[in-house]
Order: sequence, then structure tokens, then C-alpha cells
Amino acid sequence: MTKDAPDLDRYPELREKWDRRNFIKSAAAGTALMAVGGALFRIAADDLTKQARAEKRADGRQRLPPGQRVIEYLRPMGGQEGDGDAKTFKLKVHGLVKKPFEVDYAGLLKLPQVTKEADVHCVTGWSMIAGAWKGVQVSKLAEIAEMKGEAKHVIFESAHGFTANAPLKEALADNALITYRLNGKPFALQHGAPVRGLVPDLYFWKSAKWITGVRFVKDDVPGYWEVRGYHNHADPWKEERYG
Amino acid sequence: MADEQVAAKVSRDSGVWLVIKKRWRAWLRAFHRDFGYLAIGFTVIYAVSGIAQNHIEDWGDVSYRNYEQTKTIKAIPDELPDDQAIAIVTGMVDFGKPSSSFRAGDEIRLEYANGSKVTVIGEQVTIQGRERRAFIGVANWLHTARNKKGWKYVADAFAILLLYLAISGIFMIKGKLGLKGRGAVLISIGVAVPIAAVMLSGPDARKAKAEPVETAKPAENDNGIKFLPPEEPEPPPTKVEPEAAKPTEPAEMKPVDPDKPAPCDPFGSMHGCKK
Repeated sequence: MTKDAPDLDRYPELREKWDRRNFIKSAAAGTALMAVGGALFRIAADDLTKQARAEKRADGRQRLPPGQRVIEYLRPMGGQEGDGDAKTFKLKVHGLVKKPFEVDYAGLLKLPQVTKEADVHCVTGWSMIAGAWKGVQVSKLAEIAEMKGEAKHVIFESAHGFTANAPLKEALADNALITYRLNGKPFALQHGAPVRGLVPDLYFWKSAKWITGVRFVKDDVPGYWEVRGYHNHADPWKEERYG
Repeated sequence: MADEQVAAKVSRDSGVWLVIKKRWRAWLRAFHRDFGYLAIGFTVIYAVSGIAQNHIEDWGDVSYRNYEQTKTIKAIPDELPDDQAIAIVTGMVDFGKPSSSFRAGDEIRLEYANGSKVTVIGEQVTIQGRERRAFIGVANWLHTARNKKGWKYVADAFAILLLYLAISGIFMIKGKLGLKGRGAVLISIGVAVPIAAVMLSGPDARKAKAEPVETAKPAENDNGIKFLPPEEPEPPPTKVEPEAAKPTEPAEMKPVDPDKPAPCDPFGSMHGCKK
């Protein structure tokens, strides 16, 4: 018995408390050990992340932005779902364009299609790499609608009033799409079915799910998350997570 | 002291009155304990589903587990009429009669009343759906008493139990200072928090202005594109204020729900957003 420990035989009423204290200490130590061990295992076993960190993009930037780790599937991140029905889907392309238009799902599939390999990076720290995204380039929509020269930003509009803003540079990039298929499969409802936006060079919240509109504007209009403390631009390589 | 007053005092200090005076806190405690036992099951259901409902925008509807299966089939010829193609797929997946069916481009889509979706693309069939989770699924279902006949009365009874537990909790142990000490402070905080929330971001604090949506009927071309009449010039520029409490709303959209969370809402907190 240590010097400070009470004599439990003389004070049996203390035994229960003493035992409980020891139990809590042991349980806390065990939990901490498991957490640290689990974290180390996860870091050591994360080959996909290691591999992506070693690669470079065509533009010279590291393939995996800082603070990201690779997972194999899109993770559902919530949001107020749209109805997910391709039959009732409509996309409105409007704003600073000469010919605003609306297209349904069948019409969208008749527009020039592309399949782009793109990585997406969620602000919560996960990335999904090398997805094959099929859809229509936002730049093609801008071309059909005859976007006006003064347009500088794109507002992606979604179900229930959600919006996400992006500068023309990223929104009209080659890999920015209005997409309805990932790796040959339709999107599940929780991932934006039937059609979602894709702006892969910005954090993934800019890739609006359950998309209903693409609006070209001159002056920036911060979107749903942008007015709630998230970065207005959201470049993953600059870790522009919060505004 | 008048005889009547003395008689009244004696009456108050004896019999039933005296027992009540001496025992009422003990009775409160006893009922509090028993009602507490009774309320445990309800409280777990309402608390857990309440958290899930609070975070529905962040986590989606956790009542369900999403699943996805793929199968390979012989491709359906493009030239086959839509109704025949849909009939073939309906027969293949054997889920019964779809609530909705649709063919567009190289896709055939079937939707079922239970939320399952079947999409055929070339030779691949993708079946997506959701299953109700065992506990949280029914807890969420119970949480909203709408259209559940008798359950709403059970829920009402539970609400009354909760009121009793809250009010009796104030009085059941007197303590040294009664309600003048810590009790008063804690009650004040408990009342002040919802009042402050309503004042800062309640329904009247963030009324959104809705503008009429365009109703012009444009012509449709062969590609399924409807060209719309040109729009009005843009409204004056909005200053970019990422931390602003009220989102700037596009003129032609429905307003953002005024009851939506304040600047740093639970989703933001989950991400560790700045307050």
C-alpha cells in the first residue's frame, strides 16, 4: 500500500469509492490508448492518401490539397433534399444571358455530353479522387444561353433556396459540369439526384446538389454556406475553408 | 387574538393541513421520482430523435440506411418503344408496379412507392433505396405525432409529465437559499436563452422578402430547351459579408427559410466553424 492510499480494511466505506476511482482511471486510460492506437492505425494504413499526396496535377499543384485525406466513396453530408425525380427535373439557365432557357432531364441528356475525371474535396477534410463524372459543361450552358460579357460569377441554385457562388474562372472551367452520373451510376438522392453541380477545383459544397438553376451575375452573391462563415472563394489548395 | 383567528390557526396547524405542510416536498419528490421512471422511455425517444431532427440538414434523414446494388443485364435496344422497354425492366427487377417510370437518353428510370429507384444505363442496372433504421427510424416517426391517431394523446400526456417534472424540480428540495440562490440564476439562464434566441434570430427578426416568380410561357425547341424571355437587369450589387446573419437572396428565388440556423449553425459547428 502506498503512503497516500487510505487503509481500505479499516475504512470499508471508502473501498467502493476507491475502487470506482481506479476503475474510471483505468477506463479512461484504456479509451485514450485505443483512440491513439486507432488513429495511428488509420494514418499508417491510409495508402490512398499517401499515394495521392505524392502525385501532381497537370497545373503543377499537389493532387491532394493540404489537410485532406482520401476516401473511396462520396460521403453523404446532409442538406435539405430535392425530390430526386428525373421526370420533374428542370434546370433554368438565366441571369446575364441573352437567351435564358430551361431544360428538362431528357433535354439535358440531349446536350453535348462529356465525361471528366475529377477529384472532389470536402471542407470537412475528405477527398474522393478519380471519379468519372458525366454531364454537360457549365461553359456549354453559358454558350447556349449566350452569356453576356459583363457576367463575372455563377450562382448555382438548388432545391429549397440553397445557393452556391463561384467565379467564372472555376465555374466555366473545363471540368465544371452539370452532372447526373458518377462512375457510370446515377446519383443517389443523398448525393443530389437526379442532377447536381460539379466545380471540382473548389471545396465540394460549391458543387450544389439537387440543382435547379445556373445564374450568371456581374456582382458576387454569397451563397448559403458563404453567409454562414464559410469562405467565399473556397480554394482547397489555399485551405480557404472559413471566411 | 380573536377566538375565530385562534380557531383558524388551530385548524391550520392540525390534521390534514399540518400533514400537507410538513410532507408536500416529500410528496413532490416521490411523484417526481415515479413520473421520472415513467418518462424514461419517452424521454430517450424524444431526445434522440430530437437531435436527429435538429441535424437533418447536416446528416440527412438518419431514419433510413441507404443502399445501392448493381446488376448486369442484356442491354435494351434503343429502338424498342418506351412502354415495352419499361415493361421489360419492371419485370426484371420484380419490385412490383413502379409509381413512376421514365426513359431519357440511354436511361430508363423506375421509381417505387417505398422510395427505391431503379436506373438502367446500357447493360447496368442500379438499384438505390433506403431501409428504415431499427431504433432511430421509429423514434423519428414517433417524434412527429401528426396522423398517428392515439399517439398524439400519449405524446400530450408525456408533455404534461415533463411539465410536472420541470415545475416540481424547482420546489422538491428547498436548499439553504431556496429560490434566491443558484436556483434563481439557473432558472433565469434557462428562460433567457430561448428569449435571446428569438430576439436575435427568431421568425420576426429575419423576415425574408419574396418577389414574384416569372410566369412567362416560353416556346420549346426540339432539344427540350425552353428559351425564356430576357430578364430584368441585375439588382444593385450586394456587399460581400460572409459573416452576415441574413443571407442575400437572389431576387427570383424563394426566400431562404427564416427559421434556418443563425450564422454559425450546427453544420458549421460540426466543421469547427468560427463563431
